[in-house]
Amino acid sequence: MGQFWVSTSWLLPAYGLMGAVLALPWSTGILRRTGPRPAAYLNILMTGVAFIHGGLVFRSIWNSGSQALLFRWFSFADLQLDLALDISVINLGALELITGLSLLAQIFALGYLEKDWALARFYSLMGFFEAAMSGLVLSGSLFLSYSLLEMLTLSTYLLVGFWYAQPLVVTAARDAFLTKRIGDVLLLMGVIALSALAGSLNFNDLYAWVKTEPLSPGLSTLLGLALIAGPVGKCAQFPLHLWLDEAMEGPNPASILRNSVVVTCGAYVLIRLQPIIVLSPVALGVLVLLGAITAVGGSLVAIAQVDLKRTLSYSTSAYLGLVFIAVGTEWPGVALTLLLTHAVAKALIFMAVGSIITTTNSQNLTEMGGLWAKMPATTLAFGIGALGMVGVLPLGCFWGLRMGLDFLSQSSAWLVVVFLTVNGLTALNLMRVFRLVFLGPPQAKTRRAPEVPWPMAVPMVTLSIVNLLVPAIMTRLSLVPPWEYLNLPMTSLLIATGIVGLGAGLVLPLSKSLARSTYRPLRIVQDLLAYDFYTERIYNRTIVAAVAVLSHCSNWFDRYVVDGLVNAVGLASLMGGEGLKYSISGQSQLYLLTIMTGVGLLGALMTWTLW
Amino acid sequence: MLSTLILIPILGALVVSFWPSQLTSAMAKAISGLSLGLTWVGVVWLATHFDLTTAGFQFEELLPWVESLGLSYRLGLDGLSLPLLAVNSLLGLVAVYISDPHLHRPRLYYSLILIINGAVAGAFLAANLLLFFIFYELELIPLYLLIAIWGGPRRGYAATKFLIYTALSGVLILGAFLGLVWLSGNTSFDYDTGLAAALPLMQQGILLVALLIGFGIKVPLFPFHTWLPDAHVEASTPISVLLAGVLLKLGTYGLVRFGLGLFPQAWMALAPWMAGWAVVSVLYGSLAAIAQVDMKKMVAYSSIGHMGYVLLAASASTPLSIVGTVFQMVSHGLISALLFLLVGVVYHTTGTRDLTVLRGLLNPERGLPLVGSLMILGVMASAGIPGMVGFISEFLVFRGSFLIFPVQTLLCMVGSGLTAVYFLLLVNRAFFGRLAIAPAGPTPQLDVDLPAVAWRDRGPALALAGLIVAFGLQPNWMARWSEHTTLALHAPYQGFVQAGALRFLSPARTLAADSTSLPPTDLEVRPWGPAAALVSPPLPAPLLDPISQP
Repeated sequence: MGQFWVSTSWLLPAYGLMGAVLALPWSTGILRRTGPRPAAYLNILMTGVAFIHGGLVFRSIWNSGSQALLFRWFSFADLQLDLALDISVINLGALELITGLSLLAQIFALGYLEKDWALARFYSLMGFFEAAMSGLVLSGSLFLSYSLLEMLTLSTYLLVGFWYAQPLVVTAARDAFLTKRIGDVLLLMGVIALSALAGSLNFNDLYAWVKTEPLSPGLSTLLGLALIAGPVGKCAQFPLHLWLDEAMEGPNPASILRNSVVVTCGAYVLIRLQPIIVLSPVALGVLVLLGAITAVGGSLVAIAQVDLKRTLSYSTSAYLGLVFIAVGTEWPGVALTLLLTHAVAKALIFMAVGSIITTTNSQNLTEMGGLWAKMPATTLAFGIGALGMVGVLPLGCFWGLRMGLDFLSQSSAWLVVVFLTVNGLTALNLMRVFRLVFLGPPQAKTRRAPEVPWPMAVPMVTLSIVNLLVPAIMTRLSLVPPWEYLNLPMTSLLIATGIVGLGAGLVLPLSKSLARSTYRPLRIVQDLLAYDFYTERIYNRTIVAAVAVLSHCSNWFDRYVVDGLVNAVGLASLMGGEGLKYSISGQSQLYLLTIMTGVGLLGALMTWTLW
Repeated sequence: MLSTLILIPILGALVVSFWPSQLTSAMAKAISGLSLGLTWVGVVWLATHFDLTTAGFQFEELLPWVESLGLSYRLGLDGLSLPLLAVNSLLGLVAVYISDPHLHRPRLYYSLILIINGAVAGAFLAANLLLFFIFYELELIPLYLLIAIWGGPRRGYAATKFLIYTALSGVLILGAFLGLVWLSGNTSFDYDTGLAAALPLMQQGILLVALLIGFGIKVPLFPFHTWLPDAHVEASTPISVLLAGVLLKLGTYGLVRFGLGLFPQAWMALAPWMAGWAVVSVLYGSLAAIAQVDMKKMVAYSSIGHMGYVLLAASASTPLSIVGTVFQMVSHGLISALLFLLVGVVYHTTGTRDLTVLRGLLNPERGLPLVGSLMILGVMASAGIPGMVGFISEFLVFRGSFLIFPVQTLLCMVGSGLTAVYFLLLVNRAFFGRLAIAPAGPTPQLDVDLPAVAWRDRGPALALAGLIVAFGLQPNWMARWSEHTTLALHAPYQGFVQAGALRFLSPARTLAADSTSLPPTDLEVRPWGPAAALVSPPLPAPLLDPISQP
């Protein structure tokens, strides 16, 4: 029976797609009589099926070892493109994480989007989204991974642009697509190059090829840089990080997934590519550097945000930066642990955020306060999620961060500092958000704030419990080391920075009415961080402006030079004809002379070589 | 059998034009639809009887015609022409289906469309150089009239420009053909890959340049492209569909069939220049498209960019890139036809194509939600998102050309990124936002209520979208027809391709990379397990053990 589930595991990504297709009659408006709810139920059902099927496969390969499924998709001359799925314990674990969170997020969306007219379209997109992610974590070939990354780009575009009538959403969707697309095109260059050089694009063949084929350092560097560009875009790392905070304009249930598992998918591809990137020390260095910049920069920028969702999205970038550091220093185990723990904690925080937004119809931090007594479940969920994010109590991320510190402390001290800084700053920021939202006196928007209805409360409470159980689950999967392996100095440093961060957040003076400081130097720093180091403006002035100028130049050149030349030739011949017609006198002698001259010249030309 | 594909449309044209009694527009449409439907059946019949393992011409027909000139009526079908023939029949049918049912002078209109269809089929089937030229010219005047009579306000200018450009291209092609046959001392114009073998390289080069410019005008390639945006903007929607989907393919087909196929030595010598030309064309077309505000013009410039890929692939001339040209021609035919179709619907319902005026057409109740959704699908296909045919054709082109022209290929991929930029601008401006038709002025029109698009008008767009997705998911359905033909076309270029690939690989591997036979499929299943990735650095035992050895 177990083998049956494994051999049908290609269905796992297909379930989401089936849900998306099944919801089409409602999302295109063919079926209106029933309302959009059946589409939602169908998608939830399909996700549930995927979750259960995934669990069964997980159980059977836990006992029997990993397997691979290979389908030849396209074959021509020397090109073979396979759709390969690796059914291994880690991949299945990631799949369970994705389908589980997707299930919870979809139930959550029943409440969150209750009054939205396009509920069916949302569920279609979520099904598509989930299918792409599930396929991505199972994928055993770079070709499939690339294709699914592009699918993710497309579905992100459509999900961010879900409320496409709002101007901010339109620009957010555009930026999300274009920044990811830049990464994807660079990745495609790498994929094409690898395919041409190595022949096969299956990860196993690539790993074998990497070991035998001597590549010149220049080529391997270019290859490595191209390969990391895709994950950089997908994981919202500097310099392609802009889209994630803008994407927060989209509906919250999609943000839950985007901040937890979508970024995980990008990092997952990076981990699969790591044995190829290792060829180039430069690429590894770039990976670490980008990760460090994003980790510290993102944590700092998060503190200055006044938008509830955006501040948390920057912390997502920061944690993914830590993952990049882990991959760049060749500790994929750390990266995977961080991804798992971060995803679970961040998803819970975003569920709490969704509850707050539904109740208060606002996501502006300065307009909130005093929600702790009115929304106890949400308060608890946010608290658990926040504690799971930072290394204070031995919840989720504590273990990931601890492991990273443990390994990094042997090699490079400055990366340890980065890890500790991110931990402290995140603790500070989460405490700041907690105080602004839940503590203090209620404001206009938080005065009448009932707890959310059950479709939102149930997944939120479920995920809170899961968060509390994460250490137990990790112990069960033997991801938590025994106590004697604990690196005590590093662990105490981690806890110390967490506590310092929380304490700093607790005593930080917070003024709600004046979010911008009146003290000028402080205000400058605040603005610098609030506008994300003015990255968007820099891009507008440089890359966007360059493309715009180039396109206008070529348009101008086209209209006035290329087309102008053509029109000038046309005009000249017309004018020539018009002009010559007045030279006609009507005398036959003149005609004869013209003809004779013409024939004479022609004859001279023809016989030129004979002279 | 092949002649029927040419004769049925011509016969249909005769019937439409000489129908004895009063002929209503609907009847003319029905007759032309019927005759194009018959040719479609003919193409399907040919496809089912097509021998996949033969490289050369099949179903050959030979009638001596003007023997003293070397002109014979010789037709043949191979893996290069079959997919294009199918696209021609399909898009002809689409064009007739979407034609305005109340247009004036229906007899002339439909007979012209039928003549174009027959002539293009003839050009794709011709296995004699002069015969190809005759069919190539035959399609010219009908298209001129179709633009000049049923076109937009500047139709006279656009049609004349088209006529002059294409006539010039015809002259150059004819000159090249005559030069090729006369200089090589042949008496027959029958297609033969060895025609130019005896010529010195210099003469081959001159002839090839004439041919390149001739077909480059038709494709069109920078700087011979300015007729295309004008023609597209002025032509009515069905004519745009035909023009972009079928007629441009005559140019690329000519490049591959007569350039790549007839002048191997000169082609190899000029290939780096052509690849550079392709890059210029791709980047120029894409950049110019970004600046357009007319939706139709934007799609037209995107055609210039996307047809540049065909030149890149043809100049690399590996088996993969040659099949990539076929893929790119077909996929561009389908995708651009879909885009022009949808732009036509938008223009029909809103009365404008101006991107500075249109807003929020995706509105579910008062806008054009399905048209908008299909538009998103179309532009994503054009931008090369996997799952649609645009991706696999671009992948084949890039993958096939990479080893030969790495820098040029990478630059063309930048063009593929730019495609996303301008089409995203199109979708974001016209389809996202609040529904409005806002001409420049103080009072935008906000209470727009666009008429619903009937299902019969959505039909062709849905069919094209279905084909785009189907071929994207299952490209083997397209590749199987062309496999042996492309391998035969590639045969003279093996040494060239190897020399190109040498820069990257050790010689032993190059042979494998260029082997024309399919290597044994390596279906051996190896358990990967990210454990393998995890193992590479040393990790503490407790983390790994249960995973790698459960």
